[in-house]
Amino acid sequence: MDDLERRLIQCFAIVFPDVPDHEIRQADATSFRGWDSLATVTLINVVEEEFQLQIDVEEIGEFLSFPRFLEYLRSR
Amino acid sequence: MRLSEALTIVRTPVPTPATATPFSLALMCGFTPLHLETFVNARLRIALPRHEVTIHSGVYGDLADNLERTRRESLDAAAIVVEWSDLDSRLGLRSLGGWGESAVADILDGAARRLTRLQHLIVELSSRCGVVVSLPGLGLPPLQPTVPTFLASSFALRVRDLVSAFAVRLSGYDRIQIVNPEWIDRASHPADRFDAGSELLSGFPYTISHASVLSESLVRLIQRPPPKKGIITDLDDTLWKGIVGEIGAANVSWSLDGHAHMHGVYQALLRSLAEMGVLIAVASKNDAAVVDEVFRRPDLVLPIDRVFPVEVHWSAKSGSVDRVLQAWNVGAESVVFVDDSPSELAEVQAAHPAVECIRFPRAPRDIDRLIARLRDLFAKPLITEEDRIRLDSLRRSGPIASAGVTAAEDISAFHQQASSVLTFTTGKNALDARALELVNKTNQFNLNGQRYTDDGLRRRLGETGAFLMKASYADKYGPLGVITVVIGHAGPGTLTIDSWVMSCRAFSRRIEYACLDHLFRRFDVAQIDFNFAVTDRNKPLRDFFAELLSHEPASAFSLPRQMFHDRSVPLFHTIEENVVG
Repeated sequence: MDDLERRLIQCFAIVFPDVPDHEIRQADATSFRGWDSLATVTLINVVEEEFQLQIDVEEIGEFLSFPRFLEYLRSR
Repeated sequence: MRLSEALTIVRTPVPTPATATPFSLALMCGFTPLHLETFVNARLRIALPRHEVTIHSGVYGDLADNLERTRRESLDAAAIVVEWSDLDSRLGLRSLGGWGESAVADILDGAARRLTRLQHLIVELSSRCGVVVSLPGLGLPPLQPTVPTFLASSFALRVRDLVSAFAVRLSGYDRIQIVNPEWIDRASHPADRFDAGSELLSGFPYTISHASVLSESLVRLIQRPPPKKGIITDLDDTLWKGIVGEIGAANVSWSLDGHAHMHGVYQALLRSLAEMGVLIAVASKNDAAVVDEVFRRPDLVLPIDRVFPVEVHWSAKSGSVDRVLQAWNVGAESVVFVDDSPSELAEVQAAHPAVECIRFPRAPRDIDRLIARLRDLFAKPLITEEDRIRLDSLRRSGPIASAGVTAAEDISAFHQQASSVLTFTTGKNALDARALELVNKTNQFNLNGQRYTDDGLRRRLGETGAFLMKASYADKYGPLGVITVVIGHAGPGTLTIDSWVMSCRAFSRRIEYACLDHLFRRFDVAQIDFNFAVTDRNKPLRDFFAELLSHEPASAFSLPRQMFHDRSVPLFHTIEENVVG
């Protein structure tokens, strides 16, 4: 696990404090309890704050899983 | 504060202290409060560590309806965040109801009616709890396409005028506080407040940074930090311009003529602080005789009789601060130290980490920041008689504190001749601003550190058997005003004390013994139960109880009447009593 992934796990852990790290890495909005639209917005804001970036509103629909977030961050 | 910090605070379960009391806040707005609620919650938890904070945020969509719904809630405070769309939905980005000249008159008419309704609801709410109101802080939408954005349109001016008049009307009510828009402007640039993406996606219109700033302003007013009690000031290049030892008393300056007006402004601020009961002391490395010459100048703006004590010598300033704290009998956290020298500030800060050290600015353009900071640190909503007599009572405490009356018989003799009168006022209606202030700012003689909001304490006193007892003290040296407050509840043959505080100005007068003696007599009980808890600061109270119990208590305990009488000391106070329901 590299630094980027560790920081992303931390972001998820802030928004979903009851979920253990190994489950966070599999997290998916469709199967994850408590991952609603407001959690998506909060998660995006926390990731923006942590990684000092701005995610476009149009892209929000793509950020519905941990792997997708990670892929996005790695591609930047 | 970062969003991740706020989320971590809010989502981390904290052990609830045994003495925790609930604190219920209504956060009312017409939009989804999302991150604003998170920030307010986090800041309140920090400001009220001994409370269980609950936030009611209503239903997204209609501010007035949300306010109506609060009628069913039991609240300690309410924060109301008004935005333009609460006046008319067409003033928000989410509405497609039509922008243009034709809508202007209709919007203005509707906004006036909306504001009147909001005013009635807010005033009604303020009869149940303290209310903080924040006025619209976002930009108005480009409602009139014919008017360029750099031109103030008649419509924009008129709608702002309506809001301004609304705020003026609300500010006339005691329990309604309006967030200062200028404070928000300084902390959050107007162009960086609106997040159109968030507004459209989730209905939350603010950027994270603006939500953080707005939450800070709301919480500062909901739970004002206790005002500082005293300011210790340097002299050279601080109270006046110039080094008096080098240029002489006649040549130091604080006037416009001497390009030293910022020092005059500072003196004027200290004078106004002294008038409201703030203690002012001097700590300066100087020749006392030369300083005395300046103090005799008639043009000094700060009357020197308002300054006590004056520490002028060549020893370390941390030692001066020690002696000032002792003379004032206050904790370091209640004191501000102002000096122009970074090394003096560092030396005092190292010795007294809790003292707030502030550098006096070098450039006149920075004086307004210093004034604003000191205003924020010392501002208090009400100036009591106790504030006005504080300095005189400290000067008078000299005979007691420093006359060397240490032996028990000497102290008894001293008290015997002091003609002291303790006036107890007991009942549910004994609560007033001074009693609440004393409960919330006293640290050293404090039973358990319990703090109360005005509404929370009124609710507590509404319970069966609950009472508040306060006492004021006077002797031949002058009055001290209200110096102790006891909150408790009594039943048949039982008496439990939930809070007990005593001003440090009242130490060494045996008032604590007289209080217990009065409680035993008045309630006629065989023992008193104390909801005691150790705090970082209540060592003086622990020492007092240790004398009565033969050991320092660690938690709640009972004091038998016989034990108290066996170990009490001779009392010479004349006791008077008022009962107020």
